[in-house]
Amino acid sequence: MKRAIAVLACVLCAAPAVAQLDVGRLIDYGRKAVDAGSKLKDANREFSQEDEVQLGDGIAATLLGASPLVKDANLQRYVNRVGRWVALHSDRPDLPWTFGVIETQTVNAFAMPGGTILVSRGLLRQLNSESELAGALAHEIAHVVKRHQLAAIQSSTNSEVWSSIGKDVAGEAISRRGGDAFGLKSRAAGLGIDAVKNGVFLRPLDRSMEYEADRLGVILATRAGYDPYGLPGVLQVLGTMRGDGTGLDIMATHPAPSDRLAELEKVMPAVEGYANQPRVEGRFRQVVSAK
Amino acid sequence: MRILQTLGAALALFASIAAFGQDQAFTNRSTELKEKPDAAATTLATLPENTGVKVVSRAGAWTRIEAAGRTGFVRVFHLRFPATVEGGGSSSGGSNPLSAIGGFLTGQKSDDRAKLASTGVRGLSKEDVKNASPDEAALKSLQSYRADRAGAERFAKEAKLAAVKVPDPDASKGERR
Repeated sequence: MKRAIAVLACVLCAAPAVAQLDVGRLIDYGRKAVDAGSKLKDANREFSQEDEVQLGDGIAATLLGASPLVKDANLQRYVNRVGRWVALHSDRPDLPWTFGVIETQTVNAFAMPGGTILVSRGLLRQLNSESELAGALAHEIAHVVKRHQLAAIQSSTNSEVWSSIGKDVAGEAISRRGGDAFGLKSRAAGLGIDAVKNGVFLRPLDRSMEYEADRLGVILATRAGYDPYGLPGVLQVLGTMRGDGTGLDIMATHPAPSDRLAELEKVMPAVEGYANQPRVEGRFRQVVSAK
Repeated sequence: MRILQTLGAALALFASIAAFGQDQAFTNRSTELKEKPDAAATTLATLPENTGVKVVSRAGAWTRIEAAGRTGFVRVFHLRFPATVEGGGSSSGGSNPLSAIGGFLTGQKSDDRAKLASTGVRGLSKEDVKNASPDEAALKSLQSYRADRAGAERFAKEAKLAAVKVPDPDASKGERR
């Protein structure tokens, strides 16, 4: 005890000397940290759900400019019903969830902030059942629910630009991009267009985000009443594929399917009891394969 | 003895390679071949790690396979699938044999898949996307296909999909980053 008091006394004696040297700088650091914190808070407060949706609209419009929608209203409505039903079991059931199939054969799916999800025809043709489609969509829905793409775009966007979202439209910046002509006028939509054009949106996400989306994806598909093994089935199929050299296929933008399966296996005991839920093959075959 | 082991390993490897084909998978650990898709079912054989198997169909947590002259079920996660297929745009339009397996068993003609594949649309490159102009008309069209809550619920009911409560395992562990 005596010794403890002695040590404490020493520390107390020494403290003023240290303080004299560094107190100014420490206060400065502290002030900066508080400023950064409040800026982040401001940015988050100003980046509303509406901004998030518009950001996603900008990205979606640009992707659609590169790869058109499959001209099959029946197929598009089908994918929307599967996706919306799964999304209803997430923490964000009432986003303006929007799903679409794009023409490209490149095997991938894209989730945009705000709830727009595009899957390629190339991915769709690898699937065997509605439960596999639900699994693939559920992985993308999980990205939206966890705001993974939003975080990735935010971390590579200048903080001043970010905090200006939701404020007045900067007309000159939008017209430079041709945004007026397309009516995607908000700053958030403009940021989305930029995120595609400068490649930020096309970069792979952190592996941890992909694994999290796989885990939550399986849970969401199971909650929606599907066979939980839909997403693992898709990953096994993807495991047999090599990349197509575009740099934009699922093999290039995601961890190896074998690694994803190894991670996903850990969560399966939680859903093992639902393994006999429907795979829904008949309806899937009618709508998807009859093309 | 060591020579015998090495020879055994070499033979096993050779057998694996010989068995290699488009509907082939390998066990990724030692696993039991079950008579039925059920952990409590009779065990027909124990397959060592890296046994080459022929995939017949899927059934939830189980995959129906043929191995060592017998047909039975192994756990989905106890199989690995070697990469054998070109993905996406540069392929000649042939579909993935693994996905065709399911199609075959459910009576789906391979032509059906080929039809879906035969659009002649090439793969999408990063440059294609970066150079694209936003297409607002396509965005509006996309949004016109949205399903509302009631529509989605009706759709689920038609396929006898019943919602169940399953907790998010990550949520119970707190925020994982």
